[in-house]
Amino acid sequence: MAARVETAAAPARRRLLPYFALHEWLVFLTVAFLVLMALVGPALAPSGIYRSNILNALAPPSAEHWFGTDDQGRDVLWRVVAGAQISLLSSILIVVLYSLIGVAVATAATLGPRWLDEVIMRGTDIGLALPGLVVALGFAAALGPSIQSGIIAMALTGWPMTARLLRTTMRQTMEQPFVDGARALGVSPARLMLTHVLPNSLDVLIVKWAGDINNTLLILASLSFIGVGAQPPSPEWGAMISAGRSTMSTAWWAVAAPGAAVAVTAIAFGFLGDILQARRDPSLRKR
Amino acid sequence: MSYLRLIGQRLVMLVLTLWGLATLVFFMVKLIPGDEAQIAAGPGASPAQVAAVAARLGLDAPIHEQYVRFIARLLRGDLGASILSSQPVLNDLMKVLPCTIELMAASAVIGTVLAFSAALCANMRPGGVIDSLTRIGAIVGGGLPTFWLALMMQYLLGTVWRIAPISGHNAFGMAAPTVTGMPTIDAVIAGNPAAFANALRYLALPAVVLAVSFAGQAFRVLRASLLAALASEMVPPVRAKGASHARILVRHALPNSLVPTINVLGTLIGGMMGGVILVETVFARRGVGTYLANAVAQKDTFAVLGTVMFIGAFVCLVNLIADIAELVVDPRLRTTAFGGHA
Repeated sequence: MAARVETAAAPARRRLLPYFALHEWLVFLTVAFLVLMALVGPALAPSGIYRSNILNALAPPSAEHWFGTDDQGRDVLWRVVAGAQISLLSSILIVVLYSLIGVAVATAATLGPRWLDEVIMRGTDIGLALPGLVVALGFAAALGPSIQSGIIAMALTGWPMTARLLRTTMRQTMEQPFVDGARALGVSPARLMLTHVLPNSLDVLIVKWAGDINNTLLILASLSFIGVGAQPPSPEWGAMISAGRSTMSTAWWAVAAPGAAVAVTAIAFGFLGDILQARRDPSLRKR
Repeated sequence: MSYLRLIGQRLVMLVLTLWGLATLVFFMVKLIPGDEAQIAAGPGASPAQVAAVAARLGLDAPIHEQYVRFIARLLRGDLGASILSSQPVLNDLMKVLPCTIELMAASAVIGTVLAFSAALCANMRPGGVIDSLTRIGAIVGGGLPTFWLALMMQYLLGTVWRIAPISGHNAFGMAAPTVTGMPTIDAVIAGNPAAFANALRYLALPAVVLAVSFAGQAFRVLRASLLAALASEMVPPVRAKGASHARILVRHALPNSLVPTINVLGTLIGGMMGGVILVETVFARRGVGTYLANAVAQKDTFAVLGTVMFIGAFVCLVNLIADIAELVVDPRLRTTAFGGHA
């Protein structure tokens, strides 16, 4: 029985794999490069980026410092490379955390009694009606400004859309014949959920995560820029822009480089999300 | 389903959302590390003063009673007071709100015009060059961090090329007397074209920067709903009648894709509030966002949370207006409401 269930799900999974166009490869390579930078960047960066060297402050881009130095005389390019870890991995962590919350909430709404489903869906309506950045800012400010506060705040506020989408898909999956089959064979509700319903509903999240990272990265950088997220001297990109702002008129590179890093990363993940979406639903591409 | 009942439903949802928001803000207040009374009384307060403040704020009561009191306070329109200035947050916010509304309105107009023209051009030939280019543009626009774009534009256009003013609302001495609090409208009321042009010059760059990500999101929604409308079964007969593609697009597909889009536009305008905070801060414009950013910088947590409550309520109101606009625009709902052709 289990084998038959898997063959039924296989075509949907195979669709993600086949041939990719050139621009799609370009997006994949950029994302892979960014993730690699996030993983090994801090290990490669020279230790000088954590010390101030006032004599060399605000040096314009040169052969030695490709993107110049900031107000503390630290190399901007290397700080951007090292900051990828905090910026990108935090965003990924946030998306993972709120996806877990979303999965738990959607499962409760699908399995629970009707009134619980109603309460949860009205709750997500409320969550979706509120501006994410502003609510996250409130939480982060209340917890005390730090990157941890930013991560907790965004994990707490990001889940409603995930819960909403997943709950709809899970309801549809529950209608499938193989769920009735599993039930008839006496599978427990927990096992039914974990091995049958959830795996067959998760593709909606697989498509969504890239777009989520794009959005999360931008909000996290904004929180740090306003001052409730990562604090200087952290090389988090938003914090770097915030720190570079005061010397903007003499050293534009200290703002331009980290911002460009945010933009490139967000755009790369935005395109990745678009590609995944088009793979899943070809009708969106062209008609 | 009648008209009034639909509006009634939306109102109930609005009340529920505001209540949910209030509950969230209550939790935020409780999350603040340290003693709330100590924070409210100030760092130099004596134990007796702290105790007095705790009694005044009702902090000695059990948590559910504090919650009820908190909600009751909000119902009276009391968003709390700033720790630093002791001014009620609501008063300060109402003073700067018109400026924020002016900026948002200007951005919404610019963004909507941009998104509509791009989506129409893209759908002239779906899958064509313009379609691909505008879609790339939308993703790129949506990926640019608003505050960074604001800083770079300010630097390039303001400092390097000196085309646009860097910050503020008016050149020195150009401000019209305050009536509404919106510099452009005030200039119109004062009948002063020079002041109006000046205020517009100061408004242009922030409004355009704020419109970029809004336009990108609105474009994606509108493009998709235009595509869906073009694929619907009403199109082949119109085409058979001999209508050009442009005519089908503008006269048939556009009105049909307008209804779902209006609602999304409302949500997006509400979502603009996050960008407003950033843009106002960068361009040093008076407004709700600058107030919030200053409160954050001064660690005035009560003012921050009061502003969060205020912005949340404001966004809910914008969403409600969009919901009602959708009802008004949709002819199907109009005819059922008045029992016949409107």
